[in-house]
Amino acid sequence: MATPITRVQQPTRFQAAAWELGAFLRHVDYLLLLATGGLLAYGLWVLESVTQNDVPGDPGYYVFRQIVYVVVGVVLLAAAAVVDPHSYRRARWPLYGASLVLLLAVLVFAEEVRGSKRWIQIGFFNFQPSELGKIALVIVLAGFIAERRQRLAEWRTTLGVIGLAAPLMALVFKEPDFGTTLIYTAIVIGALFFGGTPWRHLAVLAVAAGLVAGALLWFLPSAGLDVLEPYQRERLVGFVDPDIDPSGSTYNVNQSITAVGSGGFDGRGEANATQTKFNYLPEHSTDFIFSSLAEQRGFIGASILLLLYAVVIWRGTKIVAVARDLYSAILAGTIVFALLIQLFINVGMTIGIAPVTGIPLPLISYGGSSLLTTLFLVGMLEAVHIRGRLAAAR
Amino acid sequence: MALRVAILGVLAVVVFCALFFRLWALQVISGERYLENANNNQIRSFGVLAPRGSIVDRDGDVLVSNKAGTLVQIWPAAIENLPVAERDRMLRQLSKLLGLKVPAVQEKVGESLESDPLTPVTIDTTVDEFKTAYLMEHQSEFPGVQITETYLRNYEQGDLAAQILGYVSEISREQLEAKADEGYRAGDRVGQTGIEATYDTYLRGVRGEGRVLVDALGRITSEREFSQLPEAGDNVRLTIDVDLQRAAEEALEYGVRLAHDQDEWAANGGALVAMDVSSGEILALASNPTFDPDIYVGRVEEKDLKRLAARNANLPTMNRAVAGGYPPGSTFKPFVALAAMEAGLLRPDEYIQCTGEEEIDGQIFSNWDPYKNEPMTVSTALANSCDTFFYQVALRFYERKDSPLQRWSRSMGFGSGTGIDVGPEAAGLVPTPAWRRKTFKTEIDKLWTSGDSVQLSIGQGDLLVSPLQMTRAYAMIANGGKLVEPQLVRSVEEPRAEGEPPVVLRPYTPKPPVEIGLDPNVVQVVQEALYDATHASYGTSQHVFGSFPVEIAGKTGTAEKFVKLPGFAGLRDQSWWCGYGPYRKPELAVCALIENGGHGGTAAAPVALKVFEKYFNVKPGSYSAVIQQSD
Repeated sequence: MATPITRVQQPTRFQAAAWELGAFLRHVDYLLLLATGGLLAYGLWVLESVTQNDVPGDPGYYVFRQIVYVVVGVVLLAAAAVVDPHSYRRARWPLYGASLVLLLAVLVFAEEVRGSKRWIQIGFFNFQPSELGKIALVIVLAGFIAERRQRLAEWRTTLGVIGLAAPLMALVFKEPDFGTTLIYTAIVIGALFFGGTPWRHLAVLAVAAGLVAGALLWFLPSAGLDVLEPYQRERLVGFVDPDIDPSGSTYNVNQSITAVGSGGFDGRGEANATQTKFNYLPEHSTDFIFSSLAEQRGFIGASILLLLYAVVIWRGTKIVAVARDLYSAILAGTIVFALLIQLFINVGMTIGIAPVTGIPLPLISYGGSSLLTTLFLVGMLEAVHIRGRLAAAR
Repeated sequence: MALRVAILGVLAVVVFCALFFRLWALQVISGERYLENANNNQIRSFGVLAPRGSIVDRDGDVLVSNKAGTLVQIWPAAIENLPVAERDRMLRQLSKLLGLKVPAVQEKVGESLESDPLTPVTIDTTVDEFKTAYLMEHQSEFPGVQITETYLRNYEQGDLAAQILGYVSEISREQLEAKADEGYRAGDRVGQTGIEATYDTYLRGVRGEGRVLVDALGRITSEREFSQLPEAGDNVRLTIDVDLQRAAEEALEYGVRLAHDQDEWAANGGALVAMDVSSGEILALASNPTFDPDIYVGRVEEKDLKRLAARNANLPTMNRAVAGGYPPGSTFKPFVALAAMEAGLLRPDEYIQCTGEEEIDGQIFSNWDPYKNEPMTVSTALANSCDTFFYQVALRFYERKDSPLQRWSRSMGFGSGTGIDVGPEAAGLVPTPAWRRKTFKTEIDKLWTSGDSVQLSIGQGDLLVSPLQMTRAYAMIANGGKLVEPQLVRSVEEPRAEGEPPVVLRPYTPKPPVEIGLDPNVVQVVQEALYDATHASYGTSQHVFGSFPVEIAGKTGTAEKFVKLPGFAGLRDQSWWCGYGPYRKPELAVCALIENGGHGGTAAAPVALKVFEKYFNVKPGSYSAVIQQSD
């Protein structure tokens, strides 16, 4: 009598791929995706209402271009979520070299726009290498520290991190782009912090940074040595006291604060937002877009934006905790920290609690380079999350 | 790691709290105050037109300067948020006050509301003091309306040289788009024609720019702060001599009257050019009828423009001396003679029978004097203006396949523009067999016949020249065969304080005349013939110039042209005279043309005489000039 044979069927290749995809999709952080998507949609809406009068006869000029960037950026985000972050780690030295070359190329080839060289024209796209540099810097530092996890207590490691970041930072500073240099600084601090650098190292660095800032702003200028461009120092000092010269260096801040304040609780609406409409507010599609939003949509509109951001930061912070290894944790932590700092500096400058440094509001400001970079970084956060969860499940 | 993640969380909470609290403080607690700031304390940029440069004659006599004017402007942005009814009421009231048509004003404001709400629209210019005072006192009833001082063109010599000077008006949208790169802005005033247009870059100066604080109604609440002070435009010094120009313009009117006296009822305009024979500098360039450029100053009245465009006004804005194309008639014969001798088709001492008529290929061509029958040399034939002599020369040209007459004509400057500074310029037309083939449709018309050569030899047929081209060609005969470049501007200058000489920024020194390869002996034959034409008993304008105290040489022309006039279409005689003097030491070449003026000797020659009288300072009546029919 024959017993029925129970056959364990080998899954086909297709089935295996489907299961894997299923597991993959189950571990996506949807809240983070939702908040990011919300910011993108909100950002397009804000951009549309803010730039209506900017190009006569073409109210959709900026939005149309931004939509194209968003589409490309979403594809980038998806790609970054799929690719294992460790593959970047292995390619970090070529990445680092490429960033150096590109940043050098900017200094050599770029055309000056309002006193600084930041963009390289590639076809119709104005490419900003310092944005790409952010990604490279995050990966290089995370890889560097993760490799030396046993020697974190040594000053060699800490100083090595700073030494790696220094050339990139110097090149960006030379453009000059003080705001992005600050973001690079945040990346360095984030990497050291989440890499587990000893507290005393961090304390020493903090004191040193304070001394350098003091030197740049007060001691060296009084000794006749100007490292900062005059406008940079004026803005930093003007940030401390915006009423020094209302139509000069702090014109932007004053106009911005007026715009934000005049928005009131529920905003002045598109038609009555005179600060934006009559161009009193400079750069209202890029660096000062938050002021325009606050003017047009008031405290409510601004709060919606900040809450969406809060979700992104909250989810990001959780991702640091679920990262499967030190490298991924540093990656996630640094990205979240840098995003937080960029958000603070950009929004802070428009409301007078941070210096005016000219960096975009991530995911909202008009401009392709920043948008694509930020979406790629969010994609990396997802990748860390998915792989952390998958590892935990096994 | 958990500690560090927690610290990040705390930091995030702190950052968001800071942002929220600050926003709350700015927007909710102090919102009212900032709203007031936004409404009250607004910076507006403004532009100030620079005083436009003057245009002066060769001796510095002012032709065009500036006078103060007032502009009434509206900031579209300031009325954008008014209720439609309120805006309408305001525009209506403003239009009524200024005496403007309501729909026109509404359209103008509406257009800029859509396209460019930040640039003020000029509603009216040169408003009277009473009205400006009223607007100032009732500012609250006219939100967004501002009164600005401006400069307006002041034509110090009336309508003198109107077509040369051209006029200035507010830049049009099309011009603004075309000239966006050259720093022009909406509201700028730009030269539209003539010297004002060609030298606009120098004349316009640099527009002043600055910032001013204004309240929400557009009322200025601070001192004006300039980032760029307005810089006055540079002056343009013409080669024109005001006195000679006036004499020329008066002479043209006199010529039209003369023609009317001779029953040439259709005479209705003309042109005159007086040119330095060795430098090409133009001392007078007149065109009749003319117009008063002052109608373009300030508010341009529709009825004035209509009057200029009316059919019986006969195109007063057209610069006939430059843009007119006419058959030259007998004034062209000297160039036919030059070409024939240069091409080896005619010897200076060769006799050809001048007859009353000539049959060529079965067609009869007549002489203007049907009773002539005597052998003539080229010199006598020119002085006599014998047509049949030139018909026979024409047949010799006709035999040649390489069109030497046309080639010489072109090198003497016919058939192409002279490159003068005031356009548009007529190129004229030198007909060739190739041109006929290209232009006409039917086989019979495509053919160049002996008749075409005959017509061309007496400056008729399809040949078209401008008075300027003719003057330059006569200057060429006068200076011994060199082609000059006509010049209307001497220099661009920066004016200095009263009494100090101006600083020359850009001199326009005359280009050296170009030898075109004429044999001086051949030119001399024609020079002598032109002298005979004004001095020999048989000369066609001997009666006019024969006893003039300065020796003048020149040629009459009576050219048939098909014209269309109100109630008439047919052939009329264009009256020409071209020549130069003093004969032995030539200085000035003059060409005069009276449209439909009849014989060259009756209308055009006396016109040219008037200009020579002025130039050589000869008192009219101190010699005898007879006005009679000839040619």
